[in-house]
Amino acid sequence: MPDPITVFKDVSYQYPQSSDFALINVNLEVYEGEFLGLIGPTGAGKTTFCLAFNGIVPQFYGGRFFGSVTVAGLDTLDHPISEMARYVGMVFEDPETQLIATSVENEVAFALENLKIHREEIIERVSYALSAVRLAGYEKKHPHELSGGEKQRLAIAAAIAVKPSLLIFDEPTSQLDPAGAEEVFATAKALNRESGITIVMASHSAEEMATFADRVVVLSQGEVTALGTPEEIYSDIELLEQNSLRPPQVASTFYTLGKKEIAIPKVPVQMQDAIPLLVDLNQIRSGDDYAIETPPENKGKPLLSVKDLTHVYPDGTKALHEISLDIAKGEYVLIAGQNGAGKTTLVKHFLNLLQPTQGSVKLDGNNTKEMAVSELAHRIGYVAQNPDHQIFNATVGDEIRFALNNLGFDPEEAESRAMESLEAMGLGGVQDVHPLTLPKGDRARVVISAILVMKPDIIIFDEPTTGQDYLGAKQILEISRDLHQQGKTIIVITHHLYLMPDYADRVIVMGKGSILLDEDIRTAFHATDTLARTYLLAPQAVLLSQELQKINNEFPPLLTPEEIVDYFS
Amino acid sequence: MMKFQSVERQSFFTRLDFRPKLLMVFVVSIIAFLWESPWMQFYLALIVIAACLLAGVRWSYIRTILVIMIPFYLILLLTHAFFNREQVMVLQGYQLAAQLSRIFTIPESWPLVGGGYATWDGLAYGLNVVFKTLTLTMIIPLAVFTTEVNNMIVGLVQAKVPYKIAFIFSSTLRFFPLLVEEFNAIMEAQRLRGLALEKMGVLKRVRTYAGVAVPLILGAMAKSQQLEVVLQAKAFSGSPDRTYLHESVLKSADYTLMVFFILFFILAVYLIVAYGIGTFGGPL
Repeated sequence: MPDPITVFKDVSYQYPQSSDFALINVNLEVYEGEFLGLIGPTGAGKTTFCLAFNGIVPQFYGGRFFGSVTVAGLDTLDHPISEMARYVGMVFEDPETQLIATSVENEVAFALENLKIHREEIIERVSYALSAVRLAGYEKKHPHELSGGEKQRLAIAAAIAVKPSLLIFDEPTSQLDPAGAEEVFATAKALNRESGITIVMASHSAEEMATFADRVVVLSQGEVTALGTPEEIYSDIELLEQNSLRPPQVASTFYTLGKKEIAIPKVPVQMQDAIPLLVDLNQIRSGDDYAIETPPENKGKPLLSVKDLTHVYPDGTKALHEISLDIAKGEYVLIAGQNGAGKTTLVKHFLNLLQPTQGSVKLDGNNTKEMAVSELAHRIGYVAQNPDHQIFNATVGDEIRFALNNLGFDPEEAESRAMESLEAMGLGGVQDVHPLTLPKGDRARVVISAILVMKPDIIIFDEPTTGQDYLGAKQILEISRDLHQQGKTIIVITHHLYLMPDYADRVIVMGKGSILLDEDIRTAFHATDTLARTYLLAPQAVLLSQELQKINNEFPPLLTPEEIVDYFS
Repeated sequence: MMKFQSVERQSFFTRLDFRPKLLMVFVVSIIAFLWESPWMQFYLALIVIAACLLAGVRWSYIRTILVIMIPFYLILLLTHAFFNREQVMVLQGYQLAAQLSRIFTIPESWPLVGGGYATWDGLAYGLNVVFKTLTLTMIIPLAVFTTEVNNMIVGLVQAKVPYKIAFIFSSTLRFFPLLVEEFNAIMEAQRLRGLALEKMGVLKRVRTYAGVAVPLILGAMAKSQQLEVVLQAKAFSGSPDRTYLHESVLKSADYTLMVFFILFFILAVYLIVAYGIGTFGGPL
């Protein structure tokens, strides 16, 4: 075992004005050259843990700190943060707020300038760092001109230019699309494997963590509850469930098969380890009597009708190209595709937030271009991506009543509708609280509740699971299912495909402003080549099912771990 | 993602160091203050606007500024034409109000305003003020939009502005667009909850916009704390004791421009003092 580069010894920490401890008695060693994964539900203390590496916790925040953290032999309490920054590079979650300069090269140079590195060496290091993250040639660009993945790679370049002993990533991919996330993971992996940089990464991406990490630590309510190899951690499904964490689908599939008394030599946590086990698995059952559910044929009169819709932004970007589609009442539609595919641009036309350059969008036969946004909002509820941008009142109650006041409800009815909506969302009792003081998942529910109070017929969820942990994401999707069962039409935009088989019936895959595919979910998720064209990756259960089809031609196109388990048990 | 307004093309102005541009802003502003001749002010404003266009500042931006300013300019012209008598009399050495040249007089029979009159002298002084403010509003974009923010910091620091102030200035430019985006997102969210801006009167609309300030400030505060954490992680301490990737070296064009503005300043002051050129009612 190599030497530890960082040692956490009996670390406990309490933020000022907080009654709870954010970290409790953490003991951990991080070894030189390793890739340590850090997982845990929202609020487990992952960010606090990351910020303790360079002394930002507690030096910047204050509060009560017990124990010690040493990095490269330096106690983080005895050395200023600016000195610790020489040893610890950090990459944060939000690509926007962590880039502070107005050109790529200045972003990379910023920390070096602060550390008083000589100009000649800064030039060398900027060149090294940008090459390492494959951004050479981008020196003069403005960070705004970069994609999400490129921005995070730039943040990584800025961190490695300092030549730190270790690099900390705090959920670097949670706001990125799959293509961006892959860029970040591939860069981190290359730096770790090829340059030997020690990496600590907090992330919810179970499949990637299982592939890249050497060890994984599970944090729950500030405590380390487990530490082991990815194989040990991700195959312990009960541990993950207790901590509201999502296992990779291959692991949950084989774990559940084992539970059904099917002989499984081990629970694999990566696709490549699962594939060799499939031949034996296939012997268990031929599957000739297995019937898969046929998708519901719900093609009534279209509620929303899009015809030859083209949209060109003022800067000349063609965001949509001759899109035509109908959405009938009561459908549950998933719209997927990489960033920039045109998903949000499309749904903004439904609400007249954008107007067609060509073509038309009709709601119940009426052209949305001729309807006021406020009028459309009554019929179509739009839950935008970041809940915090949709909160603008001082109390949860006011937030919910805002729409009702605009729609001219009398105060008594507004009050009873607001209460009903809050109760339905499990938010009873917080109506007098400031919405921004609530946890992230609750803030999202406040926004949904504030939309639902208008009783719209169609509800659009735009990337509702971005920045949410597994539990938070599932809770929002459960709400969407309840609404669907009440007869509402649901449209969800997401690239987290693995979350959707339990909910969506129909999938529209978009790429570069066009519809690449419009099919039932089973057909769409198995069109893996089409998904790949817009940088989407099918869930592992779909890939497992396709691997089984290679062994057995008659194997049905299954979607979820549960379906695979049902098939064999 | 919007970007802070800056010129797209390279020109003589973009290649200049920020220091001669700072001197230009300083000299042109002082001269705009000193001069009171409407013609001289007109030429100065014209030259500054022409320089802006040459430097690549978009006409749409200049037009927006003009559209915003027109109501103020009209008020300025009317007030000066009707009410600025004593100052223009003193400036021109007139003893009697009758020496002022009248444009027209409101008939005595009109209630309240009857007998009031507008003068060419007052109007000319009003024009001087209008062009003066126009020069002052356009000279800043000419310097700021043609300079890359990092060069601005280096230029400011070398011009002995404290590093912390230079950094705050540049961060404002960097994060202002984010604030605008957030404002738009909040307004959009309100419209999506039935807020009918299009049916509102001006006052109610202004009240709605003002109401956005609270969530906007809360959001900005959260962002500024995130930014502080990011800065700490990047070894930022606000200390001026740091190195710079880009050096700001004055080239011959920079020196030439600085000499030009210093001479221009001396000449302008000399002409005012010796010949009254540039004064109100002076030779030009």
